[in-house]
Amino acid sequence: MYFILLSIFFPILAGLFLLIRFRTPLSGEKAGTDRKPLLVLTGIFLVITAVFAFAAPLTAREGFTLFYLTETLPIYFRIDSVGQLFSLLAVIVLLCAGFFSFSYMKHEERESRYYGFYLILFGVLNALCFAGNLITFYLFFELLTLSSMPLVLHNGSREAIMAGLKYLFYSLCGAYGALFGIYFLYQSCDTLTFTAGGVLKETAVTQHGGFLLLTAFVMLLGFGVKAGMFPMHAWLPTAHPVAPAPASAVLSAVIVKAGVLAVVRITGYIFGTGFLRGTWVQTVWMCLTLITVFMGSMLAYREPVLKKRLAYSTVSQLSYILFGLAVMNEASLVGSLFQVLAHGFVKAALFLCAGAIIYKTGKTRVEEMRGIGKEMPLTMWCWTIASLGLVGIPPTGGFVSKWYLALGSLKSGLPVLDVLGPIILLVSALLTAGYLLPLTIHGFFPGGDYDYSGLQKKEPRKLMTVPILILTSLPVVIGLFPDTIAGIILMAVKGR
Amino acid sequence: MGPNLFTNYGEAVSAVLFCIGFTNLLLQTNLIKKIIGLNIMDSAIYLFLAEKGYIAGRVAPIVVNGVTSTEAYINPIPSGLVLTGIVVSVSVTALMLSLTIRLYTRYHTLNLDEISMQLKKEGK
Amino acid sequence: MNFICNFPFFSILLSLFSGTVCSVLPAKAAKAVNRVVIIAVGLMSAVLLLYLLSTGESFIYWMGHFPAPWGNEIRAGVLEAGMALFFCIIMYLSMAGGAHKLPGEVVESKHNLYYILVNLLLSSLLALVYTNDMFTAYVFVEINTISACGLIMIRQVGRTIEAAVRYMIMSLLGSGLLLFGLCIMYDLTGHLLMSNIKESVAQLIAAGEYQIPLIVSVALMCIGLCIKSALFPFHAWLPDAYGYSTVSSAAILSSLVSKGYIFLLIKIIYRVIGFDIFNSTRIIDVLFVFGLMGMIFGSLSAIKENDIRRMIAFSSVAQIGYIYMGFGMGTQAGMVASVFHILSHAATKSLLFIAAIGLTDVSGGSRKFIDLTGAAYRNKWAGVAFTAGSLSMVGIPLFSGFISKLLFAQAAVQVEGKMLASLIVLGISTVLNAIYFMKTVIRIYTTAGESPYSGVTFRDMKAYAVTLLFFILLNVALGVSSQPVVNMIEQGLAMFA
Repeated sequence: MYFILLSIFFPILAGLFLLIRFRTPLSGEKAGTDRKPLLVLTGIFLVITAVFAFAAPLTAREGFTLFYLTETLPIYFRIDSVGQLFSLLAVIVLLCAGFFSFSYMKHEERESRYYGFYLILFGVLNALCFAGNLITFYLFFELLTLSSMPLVLHNGSREAIMAGLKYLFYSLCGAYGALFGIYFLYQSCDTLTFTAGGVLKETAVTQHGGFLLLTAFVMLLGFGVKAGMFPMHAWLPTAHPVAPAPASAVLSAVIVKAGVLAVVRITGYIFGTGFLRGTWVQTVWMCLTLITVFMGSMLAYREPVLKKRLAYSTVSQLSYILFGLAVMNEASLVGSLFQVLAHGFVKAALFLCAGAIIYKTGKTRVEEMRGIGKEMPLTMWCWTIASLGLVGIPPTGGFVSKWYLALGSLKSGLPVLDVLGPIILLVSALLTAGYLLPLTIHGFFPGGDYDYSGLQKKEPRKLMTVPILILTSLPVVIGLFPDTIAGIILMAVKGR
Repeated sequence: MGPNLFTNYGEAVSAVLFCIGFTNLLLQTNLIKKIIGLNIMDSAIYLFLAEKGYIAGRVAPIVVNGVTSTEAYINPIPSGLVLTGIVVSVSVTALMLSLTIRLYTRYHTLNLDEISMQLKKEGK
Repeated sequence: MNFICNFPFFSILLSLFSGTVCSVLPAKAAKAVNRVVIIAVGLMSAVLLLYLLSTGESFIYWMGHFPAPWGNEIRAGVLEAGMALFFCIIMYLSMAGGAHKLPGEVVESKHNLYYILVNLLLSSLLALVYTNDMFTAYVFVEINTISACGLIMIRQVGRTIEAAVRYMIMSLLGSGLLLFGLCIMYDLTGHLLMSNIKESVAQLIAAGEYQIPLIVSVALMCIGLCIKSALFPFHAWLPDAYGYSTVSSAAILSSLVSKGYIFLLIKIIYRVIGFDIFNSTRIIDVLFVFGLMGMIFGSLSAIKENDIRRMIAFSSVAQIGYIYMGFGMGTQAGMVASVFHILSHAATKSLLFIAAIGLTDVSGGSRKFIDLTGAAYRNKWAGVAFTAGSLSMVGIPLFSGFISKLLFAQAAVQVEGKMLASLIVLGISTVLNAIYFMKTVIRIYTTAGESPYSGVTFRDMKAYAVTLLFFILLNVALGVSSQPVVNMIEQGLAMFA
């Protein structure tokens, strides 16, 4: 229990400490040139938090209530396998991206603010993973929005601020949709504690079943905002490109996954898959996710700005996960959770690669990056492997997840959608290859007319390449041992 | 309705007066006219109270000639309320008038809308 | 009768007389007297609250020992004592938070006048809270209006005088309607004491007599108090009055004065008309609709505003709308939510006003958003406090605003016909709130280029910073441990009936 609390409150307090201790210089004053104390402290805090977050599941399996918000709304934490899975992803990505930023943020202003909120974000994410009931989850979901917003608008330009506001409003609208649902659930559940199989009262289901379905739909849409599901995806491509690259990596790999975790929680642990399976909610939801998958890929294919392209790709890839959750059978759920891990690592690696390119060359558009592979071979090799993972070429994790997703969809027995789903997934995978691999191709083979004389070695420092390497290797590793991972996930799906 | 209105004509008149005062206070732009409206409105209420307290054929509750029977006098409470009310309305009127004087010395007009226009022009 | 039962009477009288005493004291002494009186009244209310919680029932105090139909009465229950205590806390913090600005805002010779007005305001608020007599309530409503008007115009700028005049006009319209409604009620029932009126009203309803005059009277009183508490269509006076008066005045006016009237309305609903009879009229639907409109239009006006104090003032319109929406639901839960929102809004809004002044001070006194850029770095405490207040207003969990929204929503879910409307408007209003408050928060935390203004440090404004800290703590306390407060409100409302 203490490790859970420590993993949540230690980083939050540490972040606040950084914010206060290393005060942001008033405009006009020159920022202190000595970054070392800040970086060392941040590094230590990050590692300690990671240790706490790893230790928490090992020490405590039963839940505990921190305090009561009102008589019937406890702030309650409990660790289960799903939470553990997400926490694992969050910790690894946050660590890698955190160390990457040490180098990347060198030329940015107001570093202390960045690291402060980064640590707070870490704590909030841990809390989200370990939250044991819907109210606690909602609380930290809101705090997640608030603590990640400063990362989005970090550089303080007008564009960044508008993007931050857009992110905020989309998220708040979504969160209100979710809250709207909580108000009703409050009436029709005995408890809001996450319980595998759902907590709906029998009487409530028979009396206002239709209304509960509507509630479920509103909540899905509301939490779906964070996961970039189709009608509310527009904040993603706006917010990602303006954030610093490591922050976009975190946004894309972890924060949007909070939306996924939310959807997992409400479908599996509040409403229960048994209640939703075969209803109009499932059908509409699957259609929305398929639209998002296809649309995201198309938009990414046509997008010339690299980070924006990756953001659209996130939109598309997240809906793979949501599609799997919507199918709601065992294979598809395994596929979804596998995809959570695979996509998290891959997308973080891709964003960090993009960050390294921007940091070293200042180029942001894809067509400017001809010959980049000659300048930064290691980065581009990582990019290529990660891309293959996202497309779903064996032996990467992306292949396994998509395999399970397609399998689940075909087994689901839903009319039309069971076949349409895999087809769209396949088309989208082709598109994914179409928008990611050209960078590799033109990077390594710039063509005959390319002028090789201006090339220099631009490989970034170790502090940048090592996190990228780690993140690139992880999807391959999980792809090599799919059975073990799938076994663990299966346990999680079965609700332990 | 008709006979009721006739027997309670005092109340009816006071209601009409109240409405006149109310509209004046609300809609007039001239501050002095507003204050007059305020006084009409308040007086209408006092008329209403006095009318309610009065019982035909009885006298003011001041003991004269040793008559102590309650049958002889009107209800004194409404009169007391009227007196209290008058005190309140006088002080409020005084406050309004003093505010009006201040505005007039600053902006040389009694028209509230014009004053607002001038304030907007000042831009503060 | 226990000695503690004298406390309500003592509080009213103490603040009233201290006001008189202040007039002959020099400014410094008047300030001290003012502080002491607020603390003393607060302590008495706290003791009274504890006493009432231990006995578990309200008591009636005969003024001058005249029994019921003739004498004037004071009544104290848990809710009254709690309100009085809360008003004292907010008033003390507001006065403390604005104290350093006072010399710049008010002419030196008028300082003791300022404290007279504050004391008078406190006494009239206490009287509104405690009285059991309708006509006394009316008289103190007027005293409240006069002292509030004085608080607005004590800063002698054209805007404030104009605002004071507009405030007076709207208030007088309101009190005129209230008085007329009161007279009709007196005419119908023959009583002025709340408890006696309630009995007569129940008899009238049972007999089916004088229904229309009764409704007219109730409607007049309601509209009167709505006008005075700036419900949506009657809010035109509010932004100028709150936006240009002194800091403490703005904080007190927005968080206490309008709440005094609302509390009187609650008393009228429960103690004069009877909750069930009131809910059977169509009046609650009207209140509901105007409450909802206020929530939306208040926020829309706030979004358009380019002046931070006026923006906060417009946000008050929206928050008052919340309270009336709670009334309009016509359930006990709605009423509890409204009363809680009175507390939460008072704590938040005064915090925002006081934090805003800290931000404008380090921006050359300008309230325009463009000048406020980066102000939170120049005055850190004010920045943090403003952020906390904004988060509470938006309804982020752990702050008081979330609890009141939760209570409203829970109340709404129980009312079939009004559920969807209230939840949707709550949602829209939450998002609108987020738009203008978060916009401001981001603005004050943006540093763009050189700023011509210099910052302040903790040492320059100890009292101010501590006040802000207390305000934030109050907010968080209401947000984190709301259950005891809600229980107390429920108990208090039960005592009303």
